[in-house]
Amino acid sequence: MHEPAPAMLDAASLHAALARWCDALEAAAPELNALDGRLGDGDLGTTLSKCAANVRELLAAPPASVESVLKACAQACARASGSSFGTLLAVGFLTAAKTVGPREALDRDALVEVLAAVQQALAQRGGAALGDKTMLDSLAAITGALRACDAGAGPQALKDAAQRAATSALDVFRQLPNRIGRARMFAERSIGLDDPGMVAVKRMALAL
Amino acid sequence: MKKILNSPQHYVDEMLEGLVAAHPEALRRLGDDGRVIARPGGAVKGKVGIVTGGGSGHLPVFLGYVGEGLLDACAVGNVFAGPRVDDCQAAARAADGGAGVLQLYGNYGGDRMNFDMAQEFLALEDMQVTSVRVADDVASAAPAERSRRRGVAGMVYAYKIAGARAAEGATLQEVTAAAQKAADACRSIGVALTPCVVPESGKASFAIGDCEIEFGMGIHGEPGIWRGAMKSADALADEMLEHLLPEVQLGMGSRVAVLVNSLGATPHEELYILYRRIAKVLADHGATPVMPLVGRYATSMEMAGASLTLMPLDSELERLLKAPATCPFWRV
Repeated sequence: MHEPAPAMLDAASLHAALARWCDALEAAAPELNALDGRLGDGDLGTTLSKCAANVRELLAAPPASVESVLKACAQACARASGSSFGTLLAVGFLTAAKTVGPREALDRDALVEVLAAVQQALAQRGGAALGDKTMLDSLAAITGALRACDAGAGPQALKDAAQRAATSALDVFRQLPNRIGRARMFAERSIGLDDPGMVAVKRMALAL
Repeated sequence: MKKILNSPQHYVDEMLEGLVAAHPEALRRLGDDGRVIARPGGAVKGKVGIVTGGGSGHLPVFLGYVGEGLLDACAVGNVFAGPRVDDCQAAARAADGGAGVLQLYGNYGGDRMNFDMAQEFLALEDMQVTSVRVADDVASAAPAERSRRRGVAGMVYAYKIAGARAAEGATLQEVTAAAQKAADACRSIGVALTPCVVPESGKASFAIGDCEIEFGMGIHGEPGIWRGAMKSADALADEMLEHLLPEVQLGMGSRVAVLVNSLGATPHEELYILYRRIAKVLADHGATPVMPLVGRYATSMEMAGASLTLMPLDSELERLLKAPATCPFWRV
């Protein structure tokens, strides 16, 4: 029998991480609005602040399980706005909740499994493909980085890897054009600009 | 910007306030932000509920078709912006009489994403939910790519057919099939003469010359097939029919529902000038128009222009089209 892998993320640590996640999104709102205003309708920061405010409300209650916290986050984001990014966040949280199921804590392999499921659901719902310069590319980079870590890597090593991946994905895609959504209409103009959704993922990763 | 409003931010909410004040017997507001419109009596027990939703700026689409023999509830977004997922769910809950709910809406990426998400949440509540998207605008994609087409005035027929089937007491599966049949049968094309002004931006939705028109333009100003000089009404009617007839296959003895729709500013007079020609060409093909609709059924605020929708009828579609229905904007 193998020793069970060390638990990385349980309901309590998820709860704490979400509080930091809310702070980060609220702080990043002006930056994200400005970035989005160059390619879209300039409301990404506002949308994410609203998601964060709704998520913060549910953090008042003690966390029951990873699944229930993620499910509540999905509802909170669904309540935030009609904008696509808010809905995609809700899709991500709900998919994560369903993938986690009754598990009480997630190790590295489980995190990779959840992120891969989220990535697939976002691609299906949002219609983007890898390489389109969206948050999918950031998620794929993070998933790949986690997969490349030692199976026994500790929480800090995994966080570092995720944060490095989110940052380097931005560097890789900066000089490429957006290929989906409203930003696609400005494909050439989007070269040299960071995708606002990818920047949002970086802010979220740095808050972990 | 010349628009009758108090503030652009309150455009949709003040419109909704006025709407329910004018039609308290027909409509009420629900949801934490008042962005759901439903029938005042609540869900009809045992009847399949039908919900829709989408951005504002298209009255009577979408919420205007909430009524008997039509829809049960509608999630309302800002002007030309999708409704919140939460409001899509609230609309479904308001419409659910225990026999399941059909989400019936126009084929736009954001709306699709939000209704799909709502359906996923509602499944967790064990609500039975199906979805049908209307994609009738032939100018927006080739026949081989029908699933990518936009939904425009054909939605009115899909609402009517599905609503009538639900009123007959049909099951969710049967109502969904009827809605799909109508969505598959109808085809539309539009022509835009002038743009509209989205209140929040205060600017024209697109630029176009004084003597120019855009043929095939979408109801949010999406690019059409060509842009050029204004033509006569008969020439426009002929060209619209040239695009629709190859896809609807009318023959001797065909019966067809015909909707000549104003995009907002175009007056009834000009719609009837179009209809005159359309009726003549349909007669030449041996087809009989059934219950022609001429007026404002799906608009883009003050945009000038018109659209034509055709839906060939079999006996089932004709029965459902003619079934009684009533909403603040339409009575059958």
